[in-house]
Amino acid sequence: MDYILNGFVEAFRLIFSFDPEIIQIVLLSLFVSFSSTLYGTVIGVPLGILLGINDFRGKQVVSRFLYTFMSFPPVIIGLFTALFLARSGPFGQFQLMYTATAMIIAQTLLVTPVITGIVFNHANTSGYQVVQTGKTLGAQGWNILILLILELKGVIMIALVTGFGRAISEVGAVMIVGGNIRGFTRVMTTFIAMNNNMGQYSISIAMGLILMTISFATNSILYHFIIGDQNEYRD
Amino acid sequence: MNIETSSIIKTYKEKTVLHLEGKYQDLFFESGKIHGIIGPNGSGKTTLMKIMAGLVTPTAGDVLYNGQPLGQELFSQMTYSTHTPTLFSRSIYENIAYPLKIRKWEKDKIDQTVSQLLDEFEIAAIKNQSARHLSGGESQKTALARALSFSPQVLFLDEPTANIDPKSIQVIEAALKKRNVEDGLTIIIITHNLSQAFRICNHLTFLDQGSCLFSDTPEKIMVSDHPTIDEFISFNRF
Repeated sequence: MDYILNGFVEAFRLIFSFDPEIIQIVLLSLFVSFSSTLYGTVIGVPLGILLGINDFRGKQVVSRFLYTFMSFPPVIIGLFTALFLARSGPFGQFQLMYTATAMIIAQTLLVTPVITGIVFNHANTSGYQVVQTGKTLGAQGWNILILLILELKGVIMIALVTGFGRAISEVGAVMIVGGNIRGFTRVMTTFIAMNNNMGQYSISIAMGLILMTISFATNSILYHFIIGDQNEYRD
Repeated sequence: MNIETSSIIKTYKEKTVLHLEGKYQDLFFESGKIHGIIGPNGSGKTTLMKIMAGLVTPTAGDVLYNGQPLGQELFSQMTYSTHTPTLFSRSIYENIAYPLKIRKWEKDKIDQTVSQLLDEFEIAAIKNQSARHLSGGESQKTALARALSFSPQVLFLDEPTANIDPKSIQVIEAALKKRNVEDGLTIIIITHNLSQAFRICNHLTFLDQGSCLFSDTPEKIMVSDHPTIDEFISFNRF
């Protein structure tokens, strides 16, 4: 048990020592995960809304694929991204393998189906009613889109945080396409995995605590935006 | 706005839910009147109303509005509300103001119009409450106030007073009659309540299993000798 307790003590010491390497790893993790969540949102939110509110042949098949992609293993996403970005792959000429860009691409592929799927699910049910109601009240074009985004803002926030959670916590994809190179592509999860393998538990615990703090902060913001908004008009 | 339907057929996945033929293949809904659509469940009432409101495309047949096919301008002069209205997740005031804001009305005019509607529907005291936490009657009154806010020419209502208290029904019926008499608003209402149909409607259309069995004044339906209509009226009496 001692090594676990010592691990926590050492972890707090590390956090408050503001080690430049730790700060660099945390900042890179946030940059990669925020970037991929942003791209995932830009692609996933409109796509989810479009697929959800429109009826078309094959919609059920599309939804099945979407839900399958939502639970796709990160390692497989990493593997496919690596195959395409590798020197001999179709995009090898861009020399993106083992860069932060490659990690953002892999995480975007991981996050986009999650965001699309959550938005699609709600747009398909309540979104359709909102669109019909908006139309009967005279809304058209941009007004409909704005109305829909405002009505689904809670769902969009949940999708965004779920996507971010998936991005920042995954290790398989970034390990394969990033390579865990010190100072370049080392992020929190790959750092924890590496130190755990080396038996350096205190450093792993320290990084784990930082990860959990970020997760708590993100969920607190979500709570503020969604639950706070729902209580706005209550007596 | 006069609305004429001609030989309407609607089929969903090879199942025909509406097929207007024979004596009542063409229906006429005169401008400035309150038209009731009645009939048992699954008779095609909502489908007919959604087709007339431009929300559903018929498989065959036409609908003309003052002799014209439906365009965006005509569509924007009509509105539709159901017994389970979709209210937006904002305050009651903001819900009612929504159609006016997208029409870019001035703030003072919006305030004045919304305040009048809040008073008329007796919901002024709860105007700042979220529309997501309302009773059935309050939801229905909010939806109706919102539908009437921009003074449409035609109002389609699908069972607007289903499952709400008698006082709210009275408020809603009074508002509908007032708009009809004072502004010439054409109202097409689906109701299961025959008493209500007699109280407010000038014209009734009876549907059963996708066909129209009657379309005339309320007085005439009482002397109809069609067994289905007779049975419907008998059940409503008791």
